[in-house]
Amino acid sequence: MTFLSETRSQVFHKILNREYFVYYALILVIAFFAVVLSETAFLSTPNFMNIIRQTTPITVMAVGMTFALAVGHIDLSVGSVVALSALVCGLLVDIVPWPVAVLAGLSSGLLVGLINGVLTEWLKVSSLLITLGSMGVISGIARVITNLESIPITNDSFTYIFGSGSFGSVSVMFIWTLLALILGWVFLSKTRFGSHLLAVGGNPTASRALGINVVKVKITAMVIAGGAAAMAGMLYAGRLHGARYSLGEADLLTVIAAVAIGGTSLFGGRASVAGAVVGSWLMGVINNGLILWGFSTNEQIIARGLILIVAVAIGVKEDRR
Amino acid sequence: MLGVKKLKTLSRISLLAAGIAVGISVAQAGPLERIDLSKSPEGPNGNAAQPAGNITLNSDEAAAVKSKNYKAALVWHASGDWVNAVTEGAKTKFEELGIEVVATTDAQFDSARQASDVENVLALNPDIILTLVVDPVSGGAAFKPAVDKGTELVLLSNPIAGYKPNSEYTGIVTDDMYGMGVAAAEMMSDAVGGTGKIGFIYHDASYFITNNRDNAFRTAIQENHADIEISSEKGFTEEGQTFELASAMVLQNPDLKGIYVAWDVAAEGVIEALRAQGRRNVKVITHDLGQNNALDMIKQGNMYGTVADRPYEIGQAMAMLGVYGLLDKESPAFSVVGYDKVTKDNVAVTWEKSLRRPIPKKLSEALQ
Amino acid sequence: MTAEYHVPDTALEVREIHKSFGGVQALKGVSFSILKGEVVGLLGDNGAGKSTLVRCISGVHPQDDGEILINGQEVEIKSPQDARDQGIETVFQDLAVIPNFDVSKNLFLNREILSSNPILRFFGWLDHKEMSRQSEIALKRLNSRIPSFREEIKNLSGGQRQAVSIARAVNWGADIVIMDEPTAALGVEQAAQVNNLIKLISSQGISVLLISHNIQHVMEVCHRAVVLRHGRAAANVLIEDITPDDLVGLITGAKRAA
Repeated sequence: MTFLSETRSQVFHKILNREYFVYYALILVIAFFAVVLSETAFLSTPNFMNIIRQTTPITVMAVGMTFALAVGHIDLSVGSVVALSALVCGLLVDIVPWPVAVLAGLSSGLLVGLINGVLTEWLKVSSLLITLGSMGVISGIARVITNLESIPITNDSFTYIFGSGSFGSVSVMFIWTLLALILGWVFLSKTRFGSHLLAVGGNPTASRALGINVVKVKITAMVIAGGAAAMAGMLYAGRLHGARYSLGEADLLTVIAAVAIGGTSLFGGRASVAGAVVGSWLMGVINNGLILWGFSTNEQIIARGLILIVAVAIGVKEDRR
Repeated sequence: MLGVKKLKTLSRISLLAAGIAVGISVAQAGPLERIDLSKSPEGPNGNAAQPAGNITLNSDEAAAVKSKNYKAALVWHASGDWVNAVTEGAKTKFEELGIEVVATTDAQFDSARQASDVENVLALNPDIILTLVVDPVSGGAAFKPAVDKGTELVLLSNPIAGYKPNSEYTGIVTDDMYGMGVAAAEMMSDAVGGTGKIGFIYHDASYFITNNRDNAFRTAIQENHADIEISSEKGFTEEGQTFELASAMVLQNPDLKGIYVAWDVAAEGVIEALRAQGRRNVKVITHDLGQNNALDMIKQGNMYGTVADRPYEIGQAMAMLGVYGLLDKESPAFSVVGYDKVTKDNVAVTWEKSLRRPIPKKLSEALQ
Repeated sequence: MTAEYHVPDTALEVREIHKSFGGVQALKGVSFSILKGEVVGLLGDNGAGKSTLVRCISGVHPQDDGEILINGQEVEIKSPQDARDQGIETVFQDLAVIPNFDVSKNLFLNREILSSNPILRFFGWLDHKEMSRQSEIALKRLNSRIPSFREEIKNLSGGQRQAVSIARAVNWGADIVIMDEPTAALGVEQAAQVNNLIKLISSQGISVLLISHNIQHVMEVCHRAVVLRHGRAAANVLIEDITPDDLVGLITGAKRAA
């Protein structure tokens, strides 16, 4: 039997490990843009605060998606939940105290997550198909309840806390990002439940044999993903001072790319909250850099697709080991 | 604190109430309204429309901005032929005036994305932003950083709630939507020989331009073309739905002689449906120019004619309005550009006039 | 076959276990017992009822009729949790490890040690330090050749993985460990490692019920063999009293128990 010692190639492999890939990629991309865009304000604190501010909803969604992927699920409905929760909150915020409207908005996302999770376990169908269906249903509902109208939100407390507020030069969105990062990281890496999530994703049969309630764990993961998406809905509504059925529609690919490149396996069992957060920043920096460089959105879409391919390629290679 | 159960009930009830309230407010502005065609269209603040030709800069004014190295950014809602033509018009005009276009963005109809786009382009410190606002309601928040920075904002078509001309923005430039609707009605009359039943496929969402054009068409048919009857009305929210709508429409109403549909890409589904059912005799009228439908028109298929606006001119007018802002010159609040009725006979000329680029090879070949 | 009477050092005894699935009688009254520290091989052809018997004892499919006694006391085993509560742990072929987890996390999966701080405890905060400490002790106790409790399972060999499974069972204070084909997927050397481990835990007083097709392994590590045929215990023999050929004969039915 060979003993495991750290040979040079293994050290090398560890450095190139996909868990770290996203950090290198972020540094590389920032360095690249800093050179190419040296004449613009790319490399400035306000611009980075910009990037974080506009990326926060994606970051929050990515943290939620990390939990779904950790158990081997995927949640395609996150984008539609963003719209639903923002609209629910937007419709209520003038009628009830704003914290109640926020709770209602968040509950709508948790509820969708619960339904996604229960249906997936009950029908024993892939979460991909279930959430594909619920994505359609929810975006339909979002359209119906508003008749495709935008809902303005004029409540100053709400828009301050969930969007435009700041402490000095630090946007409140940055605080939300930190909160998502810390909560997600603690929950996944420091608690028993997080350990069970990853165990279920890594080997559901073994987890069941060891007495873990696999069904409950999987459903909870979907509830977290739904809740995070609803939170992203609040952040969009706060930033835009309004809600609209189309919010979040285009976010799914970005979120999955951010999570995947951050080192979370698309097949369960391996997840990194910090990676997802940094992954979302990477997407944000690329988006910002390409715009400042004068590229069009179509080219940005191509860039995002390429990043996803790179992320998945690294991920699959790692999983086959 | 409220109990969870109570909270849920409350939220359900208020959701319903809010839904109804929104439903009522939709009735005030949106599809299927009658329009007073005797008046010219009005801007969002009740400003009467002015021809965009009134927007001009004299040589002194042009010289005043030329040496200043001003910068402009174009924050669009989408991309495509039409947007390209606006961009081209704006860029050409800006170039004449020595203003550099530093960024062009496309929000893909995503209001959150547009808000990010605004923040991103502001890092380049543009002096002028030309934009079509995706969401007039949340646009106020999205463009606030630009307004705060003193950037001159020029709007295409859509107003921004709470913003005023010559204050937060200089002015709005848009199509002559009433004129286009009336022209479409006239073309429909030509197509069906002045009498008969037609179908009406309209954009069933609250959207300033399309609602006004659709409503103007509908009103003009009713008021100016008494022998033509709109016997079927169907609304769509996504372009992809028009194939099914048109299929059902001609099956239910075999005697239709023509169909109006809100715009070019949406019309493709209608043409497809008519072809599938072999209904060559049903003529289609729409707005805007697109290659596929233009080809069908040239080949004398179902497409009879379209009303083309002049996006290139919109871009030029917007660029000049941006300069109005820089010079603190009073801007016309609401300006409209002209339009052309396009049929097989004049498609080559109007294509170049409208989009400012040569007619595609496929079309010119088909014309020969 | 008559039921055996309890002797003081009997760890596990099953009496007249019956189990049917639909119309098929998988077990038709199986009885045998395992002494403390004894390794008993459970043998039989495919369909003889080995897996069914194991599932009854481990609580996956409770028996229809019959009794299970632990240390002479009759116990009810209705679920895997019941079995665990009675000190019965099961080690599966290669199923029960989480590839991306390190050894320590695998050892404590679903039996995590929580922080002693009551607030953190409420949130399920893990005490990684304490688990690491105990993992190290557990691995030492088994003399295992696993390099570190921090190594991820996927970097371990099959034998090492099986060692982790066994360590987990032992670590949880199991008195009886059921092993279902623990060496089936392993190479010769790896299998020898696992066999040594079985001998080791047996010497520490833990009883082992070993299901195996490998006669050689059974001859090597087991004290006794119970042979199932057609849902009944066809033989219950001491290994030192039997040759491998006779054992095969008992399994195939070519030979009858003396």
